[in-house]
Amino acid sequence: MNKIKIFIFTVVLVVVSAVTVIYSGIIDVAADEPHGDLVYWLLEQTRENSIEIAAKDIDVPNLDDAEMLLSGGMDYQFMCASCHLSPGQKESDMSIGLYPAPPNLTVSHQSHGDKNKVDENKVSREQFWVIKHGIKASGMPAWGKTHDDKRIWDMVAFIKRLPSLTAEEYQIITSTD
Amino acid sequence: MNILTKVAVILIPTLALSMSVSAHDPKLHGKKAEKADCSKMDHTKMDMKDPVSMAMMKKCMKQEKHATEEKAKMDHSKMDMKKEPKKEVDTIEG
Repeated sequence: MNKIKIFIFTVVLVVVSAVTVIYSGIIDVAADEPHGDLVYWLLEQTRENSIEIAAKDIDVPNLDDAEMLLSGGMDYQFMCASCHLSPGQKESDMSIGLYPAPPNLTVSHQSHGDKNKVDENKVSREQFWVIKHGIKASGMPAWGKTHDDKRIWDMVAFIKRLPSLTAEEYQIITSTD
Repeated sequence: MNILTKVAVILIPTLALSMSVSAHDPKLHGKKAEKADCSKMDHTKMDMKDPVSMAMMKKCMKQEKHATEEKAKMDHSKMDMKKEPKKEVDTIEG
């Protein structure tokens, strides 16, 4: 009987605490005020694991194709470069202002701190999933609502080659016809 | 005021202003679509089996073809090269 009372008291305490936090407005939602380390870790792990599970069954097509690079390059320039940057660019208003900061796609995964050997297929299918579905409360839109799978794979193909492109190569590939 | 102070007085605000400009460059807001700058393509360093090189070649060939077609559309035979542009002159009618 005593255990049941303790359990009910704990549940009530958790609910009351949660309601107090939600309605008191004490959580700072400003993008210029970063999360604490624990909250950041929790959100990052949740996001990474969710994407990994959701994308695990996606088949990756052959991405080494010139036409895919041309189509994906133009879309990247108009839809992605303002946040994810272009060769030679270190930052933009969007990359500075968004929180969490959008990844700089002009640098390789090793430069992002991945010490393990990168599984290119895994990276590609996760990029496809993120471009298609977006990420809640991050500024990343769901491009799948307005772009078909083929165009999204073209973007993935371009992003795969982006870290190796020079500013000149980037300019030519992403320019208009 | 010695020269060093004068230089500092001019240089420090100039540097501060130029830094704020690079952080928020208004030119980036209205970035227009650009044509490919194919003059910077170095064919000698290109691996023609690489998709990036192939994409660049396709883009530049397409652009060149488009420019040639545009040029061909102009019918020079109908153009009067000696004709001066019309001048809008107000005439006084009496």
